[in-house]
Amino acid sequence: MEVYAYKCRKCCHVHYPYKMICHGCGENKHDAFDLVPMTKDGKLLTFTIVHNLPPDFEVPTLAIGIVELDDGMRIMGQLKVQEPELGMKLKGKVEVVRHGDYTDYHGMVFYAA
Amino acid sequence: MRNVYAIGIGITSFTRLEFQLVEIASYPVMFALRDCGLKQVDQLYVANMGGARLNHQTALGSAVVDSCNLLPAGAATIENGPASGAAAIKEGFMAVASGMHDVVVVTGAERMREVNGLEATDFVASLTHPLAEYIYGVTLPSLAAMFTRLYMEKYGVTERHLAMVGVKNQNNALKNEFAHLQQAITLEGILDSEEAFTNNPYVAEPLRFFDCCPVSDGGACVILASEEVAKKTGRPMIRLAGVGQSTDTHAVLARKDPTDLLAVRRAAAQSMEMAGVKPKDVDVAELHDAFTILEIAESEEVGFFKKGEGHLALERGETELGGKIPINVSGGLKGRGHPVGATGVAQAYEMVYQLRGEAGERQVKDAKVGFTCNFGGFGNNVICLTFIRED
Ligand SMILES: [Zn+2]
Repeated sequence: MEVYAYKCRKCCHVHYPYKMICHGCGENKHDAFDLVPMTKDGKLLTFTIVHNLPPDFEVPTLAIGIVELDDGMRIMGQLKVQEPELGMKLKGKVEVVRHGDYTDYHGMVFYAA
Repeated sequence: MRNVYAIGIGITSFTRLEFQLVEIASYPVMFALRDCGLKQVDQLYVANMGGARLNHQTALGSAVVDSCNLLPAGAATIENGPASGAAAIKEGFMAVASGMHDVVVVTGAERMREVNGLEATDFVASLTHPLAEYIYGVTLPSLAAMFTRLYMEKYGVTERHLAMVGVKNQNNALKNEFAHLQQAITLEGILDSEEAFTNNPYVAEPLRFFDCCPVSDGGACVILASEEVAKKTGRPMIRLAGVGQSTDTHAVLARKDPTDLLAVRRAAAQSMEMAGVKPKDVDVAELHDAFTILEIAESEEVGFFKKGEGHLALERGETELGGKIPINVSGGLKGRGHPVGATGVAQAYEMVYQLRGEAGERQVKDAKVGFTCNFGGFGNNVICLTFIRED
């Protein structure tokens, strides 16, 4: 499993999450983007420890953060870190982050680097 | 464009209501029709976010127009997340301003207490980006919490400032018989005492229970009309003088500066420019304080205070009733409650009430210009309204 960014074939602008029309050059056609795997490592931009999780999460609390990746892209992810701190270095892996009714959802999980 | 006036208002209690969603949307319409003495209208809009998901009720517009004896007026439901209310008011404004309709009823309603609190929170979270946000377990409190952490780091806002907003607004709600929370709170009780941590646990760190608005049922209505119709009511002429709306990225993480509420800034500027007023001209404001931090941040973005100084103005008491620019004297979302589809309309209700000079204990003295900010998504769809009393 992989988490992808969307790179415009015409102007090379990279988007995350996906878009239908390019935000760089306005390219408006089917298949305008190449899928490129997201960079996995970065630093923690902000985070929270959530105590009021949606009912399908079977844990009391969960750390969620926004990570600035080494290439400047940003992504949200779950944090498996003892004591999260702003600016700390993280290593990301793609794992199951939520169990749906019919499918499991994969996304980014970050560990202390 | 023609001038547009707010001629009638109505509201229900914001609390847990044991009524059908259609009734919650209809009661405010009944009150507002009585308020302006009309029986016939051209169009009705119902603002609602969760009817389909929470109450098994779709096509609310069609239901309400019939239940309120307004057939065969046009009717539609407007869903725009937590900014559904002001979005419906914008539709009503355009319909009257264009000359297409003379009288438009805008009612907003939500019945969220039919499900438990966690399900209600998960329902609101359905407005987040499905793959970049929702799957991680993110809720609106978590997005607000991540925003708060950055705001604290950058501008020196503390948990005490957040609690001060909560205390101010929840205590303002005591002067509003329709408000959800009717219990006085103190900084001692929610922050400084030994029991504070039990009274006020974390919801999403650093946001605590008393930093978040309650989950409420409720409805509110504003009737908009042309100048000719408004004059016939013989009531104070309250003009909806400015309507501004702006959007921002669906996913919060994609914003260049995640502490920047660009859509608030743009919508506010657009609304005030249309009305021909400046931030310093505003006498009373309702800002979307779903979370305490939002009142502070919005008070800066709409232009009342410089960026990063909203919490200082709060410390000086400038946003209290009797202060330089009273914010959320109704209790705001924090004290009045937040039935999502009703909120934007309830903010407009408060402005009409204030500008008419009918607000009793919570009246802002000599209020002539009122301003509202209805904040949808986590700041990705914002509508600001400016009301002016014409004498
Ligand atoms: Zn492009």
